[in-house]
Amino acid sequence: MELFNLNHVSFSFPDANQNVLTDISFSINEGEFVVIGGASGSGKTTLLKLLKRELTPTGNLEGDILYKGKPLNEWEPRQMIEQVGYVFQDPDNQIVMDEVMQEIVFGLENLGYSTFEMRKRVAEMVHFFGVEDLLNAKPSELSGGQKQVLNLLSVLLMKPRVLLLDEPTSQLDPVAAKELVLMLERLNKETGMTIVLVEHRLEELYAMADRVILMENSRLRYNGTSRQVIEELYADQETAFYPYLPAFARLYMEFEKQPIRQSIPLTVKECKQWIGREEREAIGSDVQLKPRMEQMLLEMEDVHFQYKKKEPFVLKSFHLGIPKGQFFSLVGGNGSGKTTALRVSLGSIKPQRGKVRFKGRDMKKSKDTDWLGKIAYLPQNPRTYFVQQTIEEEMKSLGERLGLDDTTKRIERLLEAFGIAHLRSRHPYDCSGGEVQKAALACILLGEPEMLFIDEPTKGMDPISKQQLGELLSGLQKQGLTIFMVTHDIGFAATYAERCAMMFDGEIAADGTPNELFKGNYFYTTAINRATRETQQPEVLTYEEAVATWSVPANIY
Amino acid sequence: MGNGIQAVHPFVMFFYYICVGFFAMYFNHPIFLLAGCLALIAVNFTHDGGQAMKQWAPWMIGMTLLIILINPFINSRGTHIFFYFRGKQVTLEATLYGVVTSMSLLMILLLFISLNIVLNGNKLLFIFSRILPKTAFLVMLSIRFVPLLKRRLTEIQDVQRLKGMTITQGTLRERAKSGMSILQILLSWSLEEAIETADSMKARGYGLGKRKPYIPYRMNKSDKRWLVYLVLLFTVCVVGGFLGYGKIIIYPALGTLHLYLLDWLVFVSSLAIALFPVFVEGREQLKWNYSI
Repeated sequence: MELFNLNHVSFSFPDANQNVLTDISFSINEGEFVVIGGASGSGKTTLLKLLKRELTPTGNLEGDILYKGKPLNEWEPRQMIEQVGYVFQDPDNQIVMDEVMQEIVFGLENLGYSTFEMRKRVAEMVHFFGVEDLLNAKPSELSGGQKQVLNLLSVLLMKPRVLLLDEPTSQLDPVAAKELVLMLERLNKETGMTIVLVEHRLEELYAMADRVILMENSRLRYNGTSRQVIEELYADQETAFYPYLPAFARLYMEFEKQPIRQSIPLTVKECKQWIGREEREAIGSDVQLKPRMEQMLLEMEDVHFQYKKKEPFVLKSFHLGIPKGQFFSLVGGNGSGKTTALRVSLGSIKPQRGKVRFKGRDMKKSKDTDWLGKIAYLPQNPRTYFVQQTIEEEMKSLGERLGLDDTTKRIERLLEAFGIAHLRSRHPYDCSGGEVQKAALACILLGEPEMLFIDEPTKGMDPISKQQLGELLSGLQKQGLTIFMVTHDIGFAATYAERCAMMFDGEIAADGTPNELFKGNYFYTTAINRATRETQQPEVLTYEEAVATWSVPANIY
Repeated sequence: MGNGIQAVHPFVMFFYYICVGFFAMYFNHPIFLLAGCLALIAVNFTHDGGQAMKQWAPWMIGMTLLIILINPFINSRGTHIFFYFRGKQVTLEATLYGVVTSMSLLMILLLFISLNIVLNGNKLLFIFSRILPKTAFLVMLSIRFVPLLKRRLTEIQDVQRLKGMTITQGTLRERAKSGMSILQILLSWSLEEAIETADSMKARGYGLGKRKPYIPYRMNKSDKRWLVYLVLLFTVCVVGGFLGYGKIIIYPALGTLHLYLLDWLVFVSSLAIALFPVFVEGREQLKWNYSI
């Protein structure tokens, strides 16, 4: 049965001359798992919001959207609220109440259910997902992944027929993201709930989705089963979409002489079967630790840190040295202390024990103003950076603060180099996530810093923007900038960083080049590495590496 | 939920605190008040072994002593004169009045320490949500924002500090200016994010009709029994107090401190109320240790 039916839907915001959605027609069947992909700003989120009546943005809508054969507006408000559930991108913003239980039943309270009915539904749903331990916690104490599970539960209690999710995993670390996705798969398989998911990180979703929809510039470009879409993409040579495909599928399409639709690998297992297993003796990487003679720019010695006196140490005898000009990346799970390590190295928090030295000078003993312009920090949320009304004003005021005499020249150069010259008079909040990030980066580079600290730069980014950012950072490194990045995006770290370290339990557990560190891991590695391990082809970490090293030449390129 | 006193229905506990708070101001017989204080100390010990009380102990002792010492010297009413201090009479009545006032204040302080442990945020909010549902909901929403804003503020401070905007260093003028900028970012950022919160509320049907609050606590049989127990004893005490039992006459001349039979009845009733949490905990302990 068709649940949603869209006929030639176009949408534009008031006072905008461009359509956000142009002539979109498709239908969603009951019980389907639909994944919608596409670059930021391609209209995915708007499309999803149009399916949820309460969230429909104001604007000019053409065409019809039917739910079970009846236009959305003709349904009772209560029915639409109950039958269509919506989970947002940010785990924190959706939480309204200060207690988990109150939050879960928020929707039911609004709809006027009896306490008996609420209790029954909560008991059932909480048990189904096995999250009893969440009930007694405060929402602010939960991890990002747990918060998103809470949001999901809160919506599910209203017993929706369709679940719409807008990039629910974009703010989560890979492990939590996977858990959430598995939960959705289980929900779809065991209860037959229809799921529509908008997502950038599509790799593992291709194997689960019944249908993949790809969008570009407000238009629907591809719509079909995962394998069908992959095949059509390659038939059309749509290189712009390639980064959205799972790496295994790309390898298959590139290296297989006569690709067959049914055998396009979507999972690690299928990919291994395709390449052909080959037992190899596992060689434990025996890395010789070369004593580095270079001058260290940042040194952290035996750093101990705890947030509260009675709480356990977040950092325990933490050692780290970053030489000048290196692109260093720190990876690790949630709560492993990576962000704390970054904050200590920035001097935002003072360690209880140990020394942090920047250019040989003790951070504790120096004033904040000593580092003005020398240390650059790109935060997770670049919006926190801007005070002024426009990007250009921000840069100018910073130039004054730093006492530069060639501010205008530098601004011009940076704006040009980052390709954001057209945004100079825009308010930072009116730019897209990627644009704000670039603008913030341009601002912090104004003082020509020696070291750049970055916290989770790829959160919520589409693959293309990620690639652009990576290239930008590599370019900066070539110009002599030292970079310290904290991330849980292993693919990104493996592709662009020179040296990586894995953090675990407040210490650096392993430290080396991406190859030494990630090859051979089960989880802390890229999917493509898992798929190529112990196969007839050389083990690789990234798609680019495979293209460069594999023995079979690419026949479609 | 916990067990023992934490498992008692919030309404019963709330009623208990009303009773005890009422006694602290209703009775003024020193024996009554002393017994009340001791009972509340015992109650606090059953909660957490006196941990929270210990934190407040210096304040409470200091305040009590201060009132007892100062009152006779600034108040010279009464007829039983001890001695003259700088031409002013220091009387027995004023001394006793100081003792009574300090003990009744002490009792209220002890009560609030206990209340803070037992009726923590959400239970209190639950009680008020039955009286003022809209206000309680608003309070809940605001409480939710506190940790959120705190986290955002740290994030902003980390970023702005490296731009040279800090509230920990520099002249007062600079600090104030930086502080304002930081708050400005916090405000505009939070407003931006709150749009999504509003959307999320709307998506879950907020404003559709009358909200029917979820009732997390159930009044069970033992809660009802305890409530009856408290109400009955409370009635005895109020009626007794109305008839003058448990009260003494201090001014103009000190009356008798002697307790009559009916005084004892009121005394026992009030003590039985004040010790109610101890009974609940004690019963729990007995059940654990001696039941088969």
